[in-house]
Amino acid sequence: MAPERRSAYSRSPSGDPGNTQASPPAGTKPVKCVIWDIDNTLISGVYLESPDDPPPADPELAAVLRELAGRGILHALASRNPPEAADYVRRATGAQFAAAECGWGSKAAAIGRIAAGLGIGTDAIAFVDDDMLERAEVSAALPEVLVLTPEDAAEAPQWPGFSPPVITAEARRRGELYAAMQRRQAEAAAFGGSREEFLRRVGTRIAIAPAAAGDLPRLHELAVRTHQLNSAAQPLTLAEFGGLLKSAAHVVATAALADDFADDGTVGAAVLERNGPGQWLAPAVMVSCRALGRGVLDALLAWLCRTAARGGASALAVPCLVTERNLPMRLALAAAGMRAEPGAVAADGRALFRRDLGGDLPGLPEWVSAWEGPA
Amino acid sequence: MSLPEAAVTAELRQILAEVTGRPELAGLPGQAGLFTEAGLDSLGGALLLRQVRRRYGVDVAAEDLNLDALQTLDTLAAFICEHQDGPAG
Repeated sequence: MAPERRSAYSRSPSGDPGNTQASPPAGTKPVKCVIWDIDNTLISGVYLESPDDPPPADPELAAVLRELAGRGILHALASRNPPEAADYVRRATGAQFAAAECGWGSKAAAIGRIAAGLGIGTDAIAFVDDDMLERAEVSAALPEVLVLTPEDAAEAPQWPGFSPPVITAEARRRGELYAAMQRRQAEAAAFGGSREEFLRRVGTRIAIAPAAAGDLPRLHELAVRTHQLNSAAQPLTLAEFGGLLKSAAHVVATAALADDFADDGTVGAAVLERNGPGQWLAPAVMVSCRALGRGVLDALLAWLCRTAARGGASALAVPCLVTERNLPMRLALAAAGMRAEPGAVAADGRALFRRDLGGDLPGLPEWVSAWEGPA
Repeated sequence: MSLPEAAVTAELRQILAEVTGRPELAGLPGQAGLFTEAGLDSLGGALLLRQVRRRYGVDVAAEDLNLDALQTLDTLAAFICEHQDGPAG
């Protein structure tokens, strides 16, 4: 039926005469998470018709799950089934699912909850369901979601939106890391003390280190993918990062994060611009939303203040985009004692948050191992 | 009809304890520093402000660039009461 497929094709690079291959030219916008139906989609039949001996996984789509996970694309489930069905699909496909919504409510609502829980915009979601009515409901409620039939999904690995240009080590492990995040959140919810006590209890380790050429793909990925904890108005390009690494006037640092649940790898970065004894600038500070609430941004801001102070700076300034989405960034700036002139938001949406570097500087907890900065 | 400031402070205490999952914060003094003494972090602060917007219709993030309102529960309550009846004329 043509109307069902229209949503999949609507993202095609229309008007581009060079792109007329036979396969569906759909999905040019990057997809970060695919949300799958279970019955007659990921499994070859209906779970509740034989819950004691459920139908096997669809072999073609199980291969698609593996292929996309290897490219750093997350998977999630939205199914009209009891929660046991999700456990079964995990076993049957061997795939990691970052979230599972099993129940009888609207799938559009389930997709909204999954996106919010993962910190991903619904415009970066693809939804796969064999049922035409489910697809129609989701298309109507969330037109920005890429809605696919199982047949579409089988071809999706060939589409540009499912083919990220760079696949970093962090991206390849993304599904696993989100699964660890769910276990960590469950333990945090049951933990009584402060967040700092929790971070200490689960063996949190943050390492701030100088960035090297091998970090470039991950730096670029962080610049493009992070929004809630990102100060920049425009993501730095790969070439710009390359230039900053070579520049004597700039310092680029990465932040790696690990705890007893998982080694998250490089989750954050900051750029510092030296300016002799004057006010130094941090033109970009970014942290993956997966690391939200784990002290990485606070550690980076404290490190920036301390490194600038050690280099002789009198003040540090962070130009930060002021949006609803990156409120956690502004909260961290406030917690680090940085302030903007009230009302001083520039035309590009950024305000300059600054602090003097005399007196007490923000501290680094003992689990942060910090590079002393350039000599 | 807006609530008196002291009642707002009392409600905020409960909201803070809920969003942080730390029941002991239900006894936090109104003048205690939220970042400095209560150990509020950027995630907790974002959750607190989301609840404030739902409960009181005051969007602190949009109206307070430096988030000075988040210094203490008292300053937050004062900010809410000041802004609750919609933007001033």
